[in-house]
Amino acid sequence: MTTPTSRSSPRSGLARAYRPFPDVFDEMMAADGSVRPAWQPLMTALNGLEPDEISRRFARADRYLSDAGVFYRLYNEGGASERQWPLSHLPLILDEAEWQAIATGLIQRAELLEALCADIYGDNRMVAEGLLPPDLVANNPEWLRPMVGHRPAGGHFLHFVGFELGRDRNGRWRVLGDRTQAPSGAGFALENRVAITRAFGDTHSAMNVHRLAGFFRDFREHLAGLRRSGDEAIAIITPGPLNDTYFEHAYIARYLGFPLLEGEDLAVVDGKITVRTVSGLKPLGVLWRRLDAAFTDPLEFRADSRIGTPGLAGALRDGQAAMVNALGSGILETRALLAFLPALAERLVGETLKIPNIATWWCGQQAEAGIVQERFDDLLIGPAFATGLPVEDGITKRGSVMTPSARQAALRDLSEGNGSRIVGQEAIALSTMPVNLRSRLVPRPVILRVYAARTADGWTIMPGGLARIAQTTDPQAIAMQRGGRVADVWVTSPKPVDQVTLMSREGDEVVRTPQGLLPSRTADNLFWLGRYVERAEDTVRILRAYNSRLAERPDDRSGLLAMTATYLGRLGTDPTRGIPVALVHAIDDVQQTAARVRDRFSPDGWLALRDLSKAVGQFAPKIQPGDDAARAMTVILRKLTGFSGLVHENMVRFTGWRFLEIGRRLERAIQMARLIDSFADTDAPDGALDMLLEIGDSVITHRRRYSMTFRALSHIDLLALDPLNPRSILFQLAELKTQIELLPLRGETPARAPLRLEALRLHTALAVRDPASIDRAVLDTLRDDLAGLSNQLTSTYFR
Amino acid sequence: MLYDIRLSLHYQYGYPVAGGRHLLRVTPPTLPGIQRVIDSSLTVTPKPGERSDTHDFFRNATTALGFNAPHDSLELVMRARVAVERETAAFDMSPDLDGLAAEIAAIRSLGSRSPHHFRSQTARLPFVPEIAAYAEKSRAPGRSVRATVEDLCRRIYRDFAYDPDATLVDTPIAEAFAGKRGVCQDFAHIMIAACHTLGIPAGYVSGFIRTIPPEGKERLEGADAMHAWVQAWCGREAGWVEFDPTNDMPASDDHIIVALGRDYRDVSPIVGVLQAGGRHSTQQSVDVKPVAEG
Repeated sequence: MTTPTSRSSPRSGLARAYRPFPDVFDEMMAADGSVRPAWQPLMTALNGLEPDEISRRFARADRYLSDAGVFYRLYNEGGASERQWPLSHLPLILDEAEWQAIATGLIQRAELLEALCADIYGDNRMVAEGLLPPDLVANNPEWLRPMVGHRPAGGHFLHFVGFELGRDRNGRWRVLGDRTQAPSGAGFALENRVAITRAFGDTHSAMNVHRLAGFFRDFREHLAGLRRSGDEAIAIITPGPLNDTYFEHAYIARYLGFPLLEGEDLAVVDGKITVRTVSGLKPLGVLWRRLDAAFTDPLEFRADSRIGTPGLAGALRDGQAAMVNALGSGILETRALLAFLPALAERLVGETLKIPNIATWWCGQQAEAGIVQERFDDLLIGPAFATGLPVEDGITKRGSVMTPSARQAALRDLSEGNGSRIVGQEAIALSTMPVNLRSRLVPRPVILRVYAARTADGWTIMPGGLARIAQTTDPQAIAMQRGGRVADVWVTSPKPVDQVTLMSREGDEVVRTPQGLLPSRTADNLFWLGRYVERAEDTVRILRAYNSRLAERPDDRSGLLAMTATYLGRLGTDPTRGIPVALVHAIDDVQQTAARVRDRFSPDGWLALRDLSKAVGQFAPKIQPGDDAARAMTVILRKLTGFSGLVHENMVRFTGWRFLEIGRRLERAIQMARLIDSFADTDAPDGALDMLLEIGDSVITHRRRYSMTFRALSHIDLLALDPLNPRSILFQLAELKTQIELLPLRGETPARAPLRLEALRLHTALAVRDPASIDRAVLDTLRDDLAGLSNQLTSTYFR
Repeated sequence: MLYDIRLSLHYQYGYPVAGGRHLLRVTPPTLPGIQRVIDSSLTVTPKPGERSDTHDFFRNATTALGFNAPHDSLELVMRARVAVERETAAFDMSPDLDGLAAEIAAIRSLGSRSPHHFRSQTARLPFVPEIAAYAEKSRAPGRSVRATVEDLCRRIYRDFAYDPDATLVDTPIAEAFAGKRGVCQDFAHIMIAACHTLGIPAGYVSGFIRTIPPEGKERLEGADAMHAWVQAWCGREAGWVEFDPTNDMPASDDHIIVALGRDYRDVSPIVGVLQAGGRHSTQQSVDVKPVAEG
């Protein structure tokens, strides 16, 4: 594209005050102070904007991330907390020609890693030939002996890998590390892109930035091709919601349309890997894991893993499913391996490394230990078997800044020939890129994570990636856990780029997850989410009625308040506090259950829940019983029904929604039976019936429907037996019957399915009653029957 | 020596479990120069829905079981007839510790018997400075590897008390070491860790040992127990040599090997028994009966 040169004068606007460090390569500004060509269109566009407009655009990107619920989990002494995604608003920009060189180099590296992995889990020729020290394999915790001697299904060990790149002061890219176990961040790269286009949409399209969707589309097709038949599911397996990048697992699963599973969703039966679903066991063909191999099978790896699947390793050895990447591929991340890759490249792919990695010396060898000893102060000294980057493992330090005791210990090991657990690495001065800090651009060190995926035509490189930027000028501050930020990566082309979407190209086979693949655990969580939401709503309604009466008549002559307090007490709720602890817990239950099925929700639903939880948290310390609490309950109720409404309106009526609905209806029926039992009792205090109507949200209907009140009967009629009142018990039973009939059968004939028969029986039994016959015994039996129905549902679908 | 061996493991669960998978290592293998398995069988009650017999990386016989039906107990009975015919080296052919390091470095194999596998820490064998200091006392100038390991074996026998109540199956070695009490598993782990700190490859051996009844008494059926001892790599010439620190002796014709590995985790007789919830009980009985040859 052509840009008028007059507007890209190097030191105008934002770029004017930008000062890269001397002797460090800057991504945006050349040594002579000129803006590099790839950056010029963006910098020119920025210069044309008022500072306020720039702030507005940045805020737009942040709002997108916040609305989309993009977060990561931060761990510190105080536990874990969710943090807003730390996006830096300027992308890292590279032109197509430079990118091509990176891509070619990384494809070579992916091929090298595949060949090396096959050797390490095969005949170990590299060890026999002396190109790889046996110690680095045999004593490597990532060398998984149960997988030795087995070729994975599909023939390949690696399908999706990441590379960490850094640029040295001469402008040459170097590989800092390889990510082969379960590379994270590709989903975040997608979210960064969406967010940044909110800020710079116009410039982004004018600059011919390569799209990311095609990469994911091709990889999805590759995964589909790994199946032995179209009936087999493709799934993503996650360690669960407590993982620091769980958001991304859920995001990728939603983006690609794959179910997100946990270890307990899988079962190995008759040697085959299957998914436990509400429709029974379904065959699995491909598993994309975000779970470290050591946790995947407690029988063969870590026996204490509670997130694995017993028998999985054995089934994979038998080639029952393709694993992305193969169990054991994590060994390729070993830092000390970097020392041997140059020679291994010559041997295994017959070429020198196109992109060198940073110089690394494994100190299990005498000569190398000597070099590291000699240059100790200038090198990064770290553990040989580390798999993280030196800048983020928290252990690796430059020799000159080690503590005296650590330094002494390392030097002693080196001189005594005990260096096999030590590597020395050259510390490169990472290149910098501009970051917007307090409306000024400042240079910060950056590393680039790039992804490679296998496709039908071999390896392909995502045209973009994840740039990670240090918070300070210290490269050690790159880790997000230590305040680092991330940025989008733009690869720009001189000509217009393909406008790819995730949709398959016309004529291609459409990949769709087999319908009805609802994991039992997910259904279980959705069912309980429905119950918890309803339970919380019920508590809030009672608390609101209680507190508004408390505000009007604190003396409680009728005894209604005392009775309500007892009622709440039986449910574990103490109404003498404005926001009872039990309510906070009830909302927590809702949020935690929802967090386990996050891939099933739209971001809006999730946001509504977070909003609810935040409101309750803010109310809890300051709200007083009475009017204050009544009003707070109204706010909470509105947020709660807001969430229910979003779910109800936005969730596709697949089986998952039915379980949520069944949970809601079941809980509402139980709560209403309990309420009628207490508040419509003949001994209940004055005002109890009015309160019952208010809790049951049926005051107006009652007034309109019944001109005269026969004590309690009209109330019971409306709240228990009215088939049209969405709060009545009968209404819940009708809905339960309808939804249960639509659930998948588990081998029974429709007319004989026990769960269907029970739902039908409960509905019929109540439908034929008249209000006068509804007494305590009937209500008690009904509650027992509903509890029984819940157990029956559990044993039928969730086990 | 010829033995008829019977191992039975019985698990009683507090309530029926829906299913489950287990991995067993209970069947002795034939090991040239050590033992020959003439016949063996493993019966499982209730009958598992799935069963696959294979071997693991260290060539131990493994049996994978899968139960798909509810059951409230599990019984395993392994029977084997094994001829133990250990060839023991009459002369100590092992180098000293420096010589050993050079011999290890010269080995470029990762086969299952390669000494390279048996040199590093594992979850069960963490580095314990006190054990390293203890091991140092067995180091002597010019002393051969085999003599060094024998010395360690003797010291552990002497310095530690056999006490089945002192430790559990998962007691960390640092704790057993500090208490100076334990059982064969603890002594084996401590000795392996000590060998490692001296640079000697060492591994864990699980198996059976014949117990000789006191004079004039009958052999008690089922009174024998599973046993554990140590194998150490004493150089290219001497190879793997077995030591029993619980009894301060080299492995003899009374020792029958079931499995070899780096530590207890590699040789656990059964992995995957349900631990969670419900009371359950375990019974183990072992018979090692010498058979009159002829």
